Amino acid sequence: MSTIKRVQQWATFARIWHIYDAAWQNPFESAKLLRKYLMGMHKPIYHPLNDCGDHVIVINSKDIALPGDEWKKRVYFHHTGYPGGASWTLAWELHTKDPTLVLKKAVYNSMKGNLQRRYTMERLHIFPDSNIPENIMKNVSNQLQQLRPKPTRLDSYDEKYVKEFPKIIDYPKDYILR
Amino acid sequence: MVFTSIVNFVRSRGPDEFWRKRKVFRLAAHYIGRRRNCYSIAIKNVHRALVYATKGRKLKKLDMADLWTTRIRAGCEEHGIDYFTFKECLARENVFLNRKSLADLACWEPYTFKSLADIAKQRAADDGLNCLNRIENSDHILSKMLKNKK
Repeated sequence: MSTIKRVQQWATFARIWHIYDAAWQNPFESAKLLRKYLMGMHKPIYHPLNDCGDHVIVINSKDIALPGDEWKKRVYFHHTGYPGGASWTLAWELHTKDPTLVLKKAVYNSMKGNLQRRYTMERLHIFPDSNIPENIMKNVSNQLQQLRPKPTRLDSYDEKYVKEFPKIIDYPKDYILR
Repeated sequence: MVFTSIVNFVRSRGPDEFWRKRKVFRLAAHYIGRRRNCYSIAIKNVHRALVYATKGRKLKKLDMADLWTTRIRAGCEEHGIDYFTFKECLARENVFLNRKSLADLACWEPYTFKSLADIAKQRAADDGLNCLNRIENSDHILSKMLKNKK
């Protein structure tokens, strides 16, 4: 390597598009991961005043998994500004109204409240399912790893695979499966 | 100052008011509104600014240390090693670069930083540290989607 090229870095300030599958993921833990990529904290050139954040596309946001009983217990507060304008929405209600909002708010709240936050949020594209517009999908060049593996449910295996799966015992014929 | 009588000399004892206030007004020169023109308002703001400056000297050092850590962590993750393993392994290899120099290398000399990361990774492998196992993506959504597109 020549002396000049030792410090050469091509396309350092280029914006990269990442894709993240939110199915079966905790949105509050995912928010920390997404924040890192949106703010550009995964690059060694990071500086708070340096506009080096990337785009992140989140798919399957309708399949997020909240921990414990948070669907029932987590409450989102809104106030219209008028007297009596307060309203409290449960997480599951918010999710039925808009399946992207829980994740969006999680990412928004995971960032510090400064002037840059709203511009950073502009780089987050959330989709409730995996149907992404062609013009957005063609930019993608990286996939973010899911925080936890997505389990496969028994009904999603094909019947033959389940039937031929090795087993220890056969149930007796008069055994009632419930 | 010239005193024509002993009475005026007695009355004007103590520090000279104009020069005393001027020192404060110099510090408030870049403020706007009455904060730079009225002494009683200027002095409050100058005091507050000096307190901020005192605190800021400490905060600046903390902010820079945070920035260095963020940059080194980002550099380490590019090369598939986590920050703590990286630091530990460099220490075991007797590479005692401080965080400032490591952050400078990560930012400005990526190839030099890569060689440091390679040293750390080799050491981690030699010492049997179980921190290098990067789990590959189990489901390839991206490749699936690209396949569907074609």
